[in-house]
Amino acid sequence: MTFTPDQRDELRQMFVDFAESRDSGLRTRLIEAHLGLAEYFARRFSNRGEPLDDLIQVASVGLLKAVDRFEPNRGVEFSTYATHTIVGELKRHFRDKGWAVRAPRRMQELYLRLGKILGTLSQELGRSPTIPELATEAAVSEEEVLEALEAGQAYRFASLDAPSGQEEGETMAAQLGTEDKGLADAERRASLSPLLARLPEREQTILHLRFFEGLTQSDIAARLGISQMHVSRLLARSLAELRSAAEE
Amino acid sequence: MPTQDEVRLAVPATPEFLRLARVTATGLASRLGFTYDEVEDLRLAIDELCYTLIGNSGRRGQVSLRYLMTSDGLQIEGIGQFDDGAEEPTISDLTRQILRALVDSYEVGRNTSGHPSFQLVKRTLASRQR
Repeated sequence: MTFTPDQRDELRQMFVDFAESRDSGLRTRLIEAHLGLAEYFARRFSNRGEPLDDLIQVASVGLLKAVDRFEPNRGVEFSTYATHTIVGELKRHFRDKGWAVRAPRRMQELYLRLGKILGTLSQELGRSPTIPELATEAAVSEEEVLEALEAGQAYRFASLDAPSGQEEGETMAAQLGTEDKGLADAERRASLSPLLARLPEREQTILHLRFFEGLTQSDIAARLGISQMHVSRLLARSLAELRSAAEE
Repeated sequence: MPTQDEVRLAVPATPEFLRLARVTATGLASRLGFTYDEVEDLRLAIDELCYTLIGNSGRRGQVSLRYLMTSDGLQIEGIGQFDDGAEEPTISDLTRQILRALVDSYEVGRNTSGHPSFQLVKRTLASRQR
C-alpha cells in the first residue's frame, strides 16, 4: 500500500487531530484509508485453510485497535505500528484456532491415540500414568510421547476427543448446579483478577477447580466428563489468553 | 537435595523458543518418573514463569535455564539477560495463585547479578509422600 507524500502528510495530521479529538468521523476515515493494509496481511495468512473474508475481518479488528491506540507523537510511522497489531491479531486468531503451524500428521495421530491410552491407563492404575508407562502402552519412545504432548498443547486438531459442545455444556451445567459455594468463589476469583471473567464459563470452571480447589487435571477430567488431554489443552489455552489479556 | 545432575540451556528470549524450555523440562521430568498430570503442570509453570521474564511478545536477549535433577524432583532456574534493561519482573496475584497450584515452590525476582530471574521446584509425588 503506497500513499503519495501529500496523502502521507494529510494522514499524519489526521492522526494528530484524532489523538486530540477522538472524533468518530476521523476515526472512520483513518480506518478506511488503511483497510488495504489489513487486507494485505490477511492475504499473507490466507494459505492456511481459513477463508480470506474471515481473515480480513480479523485483520480489520487489528487495524481498529491500531487506530485507537496509535500515538502519533511517539515518532513511529502508523504503518509500522499497525503492522505489529494486525499481524498480532492474525497470529492470535490462528493460535486460538490451533492452526498456526500444523503438527506432523504422525504426531497428531499419536496425540489422539495417547488421549485414549491415558484414559484407560489412569483407570487401570488408579492414578495418572508416567510418561514411560504411556510410551510402553503406545509402543513408542518416551521422546515421541513428549513430542506428541507438546504438539497437542500448541495445536488444536479439528476432531477434538471431547464430547460435542452441547453434551459438554450439559455436563458443565449439572456440575455448576452442585457447586454450593460458587458465589463466594466467584467473588474471590473476581478480586484476584477481572480478567478471569472474560474467559468462557467452562474455562473459568476448569481454572477454578485446578488453581483454587487444587484438583488435578485427571480429577477435573473425571468430574466434568471430558478427556484429560482436553483439560490440559483448555488450561494451556486459558493461561495464554489471560497472559495476553493482562498485557492489553 | 543430594545427587544433582544438571542440564543447561540458553534460548533467545522470544515465545517460539520457549518450546525448547518446555521440552527440556518435560524430558527430564519424564526421566524422574513424574506422572502425566505432573508433567502437564510443569509445562504450564515453565510457560508462566518464562513469560513473566520476557512478556508476551518476547524481548531482545536470551533466557538461560538451568535444570537440576535431584532425588526429590526437579529444580529449574531461569535468568533473563536482555539488551533493554533488567527491571524486576512483576507477577500478579492470579499468577501467584496459579503457580502455587502447579509447583511446590517458586521465586521470582532478581538474581545476585541483578538479572530478572525465577526459580521453581517440582517434587515427585513419591518424594512428597515420603
